[in-house]
Amino acid sequence: MTLPTAAPAKSAYPEKIWLYLHFPLLPLDALLDDLKDQQQHQNPVAVICQEKNILRVLCCNNSAKQSGVEPLLSLSTALALCPDLLTMRQQLEREKNAMQQLALIAYSFSPGVIIAEQGLWLELSGCEKLFHNYTQLLQKLHQALLLQSTNVDMGIAGSADAARLLCRSGFRCELPSSAELEQQLKLTPLSQLNTSRRQQQSFYQLGLTCLGDLLALTRTDLASRFGTGIVEQLQLLLGEKPCQMARFEPPATFHDLLQNPQGIFSKQGLLFPMKTLLQRLSLYLQARQCYCRALEWRFEPLLGEPSSMHVTLSGSQNSWSNLLDLSRLQLERIDLPASIETIILSSDNFVDGIPSGVDLFGTALLGTALAEEESSEAAQLMDSLRARLGPDALWQPALGRNYFPEEAGTVVVPGERQQLRTAHRGLQPLWLLPKPIAIQIRHQQLFWRQPLHILSGPQRLCDNWWQNNQQRDYYLACDNQGSRYWLFKQSDTGRWFVHGLFS
Amino acid sequence: MPNTEIITKLLARHDTWRGQSQKPIQRSVSSGQDEIDRLLKGGWPAASLTELLVQRPGIGELSLLLPTIKYYCQNNHLSVWLDPPYQPHAPALATAGIALQKVLIVQSKTHREWLWVAEQCIRNNALLLAWSERKAPSYTDLRKLQLAAADSGHVAFLFASSKQLPASSPAALRLEIDSVDEKNLRLCVRKLRSMAPGEQLLIPRGKNLGPQTSLAKLPVNNIHPQMPASTDIPRIKTAEQRLNA
Repeated sequence: MTLPTAAPAKSAYPEKIWLYLHFPLLPLDALLDDLKDQQQHQNPVAVICQEKNILRVLCCNNSAKQSGVEPLLSLSTALALCPDLLTMRQQLEREKNAMQQLALIAYSFSPGVIIAEQGLWLELSGCEKLFHNYTQLLQKLHQALLLQSTNVDMGIAGSADAARLLCRSGFRCELPSSAELEQQLKLTPLSQLNTSRRQQQSFYQLGLTCLGDLLALTRTDLASRFGTGIVEQLQLLLGEKPCQMARFEPPATFHDLLQNPQGIFSKQGLLFPMKTLLQRLSLYLQARQCYCRALEWRFEPLLGEPSSMHVTLSGSQNSWSNLLDLSRLQLERIDLPASIETIILSSDNFVDGIPSGVDLFGTALLGTALAEEESSEAAQLMDSLRARLGPDALWQPALGRNYFPEEAGTVVVPGERQQLRTAHRGLQPLWLLPKPIAIQIRHQQLFWRQPLHILSGPQRLCDNWWQNNQQRDYYLACDNQGSRYWLFKQSDTGRWFVHGLFS
Repeated sequence: MPNTEIITKLLARHDTWRGQSQKPIQRSVSSGQDEIDRLLKGGWPAASLTELLVQRPGIGELSLLLPTIKYYCQNNHLSVWLDPPYQPHAPALATAGIALQKVLIVQSKTHREWLWVAEQCIRNNALLLAWSERKAPSYTDLRKLQLAAADSGHVAFLFASSKQLPASSPAALRLEIDSVDEKNLRLCVRKLRSMAPGEQLLIPRGKNLGPQTSLAKLPVNNIHPQMPASTDIPRIKTAEQRLNA
């Protein structure tokens, strides 16, 4: 009899797995859209910032590094080292936007995302089941992040601060074992801790060089010697205290823009940036689990008035390809300024998504699924018709509250619900003339295009006497060939009108 | 040995013509009235365009379609009325049992828009009722719509005037509607796939005339020459008649 083999040891992490992602070239990536040419990516590029009246290099790409340019060099030195260096000014707004985009991407992998200055923390302990194992999760995350940023460094540990301390360059898709982690933590030099200069000096004088030495001392000694700040830091590092930083939440409205300094001259050229923006919108909608009801596009030229375009949706589509089709259809109808420099997409009209129904026994409700599919098809058809023809080309018949035919059958904008239904008895024609047409009497015979003969007798309809003191007697009439008409005679003036056609 | 499976499949297709066979091989949607179903060998042909050619608009052609519209609206499809000549009256549609939220009226401005809207509606599983007043659609336009209907598998209706009859059209059914006299409407099949044209049907118009008054008392002289006087309400002259009425 063989003994059952022991179950493989579960991951030795106590509760949490924290992943720290560092984006060293974030200022450069944020400005990448400005470099349209692929070739320009190969040229040395650096981002500069101003520090106390000196322009310094903030970060630079690999080809610049090969020429010897490094961060913190002054601009003149950098230009001397590398004459054809392309320099760009740091733009904090765009860095923030780029960081928000990265946070949204990370949010689709894990619910606990925290934003740091040039990095992100992700908390991965609950996400294993969705991705089957951590390796796959990390691989997919790496692929998703590469679309936005060129360089990602990462560190994994059991607590957030430790993950930051252990951040190394390169992206590894394997979780390190806890023994390795402990080893690495112990060897971290103390200069990387967040302590004052005085404390660093006292560490040095005491002969404490790395974290392992600090951990060998007792906590009470540390507290009495260096203050409770150090003890708290150690507790955060070792995961004994939970991380208190605020989590990332997707913002309540969506606002994004793309800039093209060279200007876009044709509607065809607009489609690619619009597609990028719509893909970001669909990522945001997925993160917030809602549908969008209205979009606003703004096209701003270098000189002149911006033009904007509203796309209204029935709220049942999320996919960026449908949104792109609708926007394209509507784009054909508007005039654009000559050369467009900035494209802005914003939306604040969202409606929560309703998950498709599954009843108690797990069987999907077929009826509702089909009905939802078909009504979403109808909604899509209405959206595309509205986008192509304009909103004033679509109508729906609706019952009105009065008995008078022109109010009883109105046409309204589609989608409005009818509140009251009055019961209409008697014959009702299929076609109504919106304005009744007066008919003549020739030789004592009613005449409208042809002589008319009355078939059946009057039905009197009165309007609200306080609004309109009209009384009408409605008759059914036919002509020689048999088409039937709905006539009425106004009781006060005695004039005859045609109001409807039976078809 | 002949492969009977392939042949059976071929014969079951709706666009295979079988000479001399009377059996309808096409799927059809019932029109709601038995006589029309018998005339059209089953109903409106599915997956194709139907052209209704009327002598003059408004003689009764739309009421023939009301049961079909009701059937489609009950099955959660939109019914799109493209460029109707007048405004549809909501109480009449409600009395016929059509859900008003499923009816959409579209006005197009150019012929190209009309064609685009028609094709989009057919491809998106909506029931199309199209009127073309601006310009009669050409053979190519109709062929496009017929192909769209064949792809999506639904019916689509096009209203035109009888003057279009001599023009050739790829629609699967061309029905001419005119009124012989005030009592009857005449349907004449001018083209139906797999059937010889020329069959006719007389449909009596609705007898439901609403409440009547004595026609002789009307303010205008309008008793129709063909309506017999006996349909008029009898006059009460004596006290006995008043008691007995």
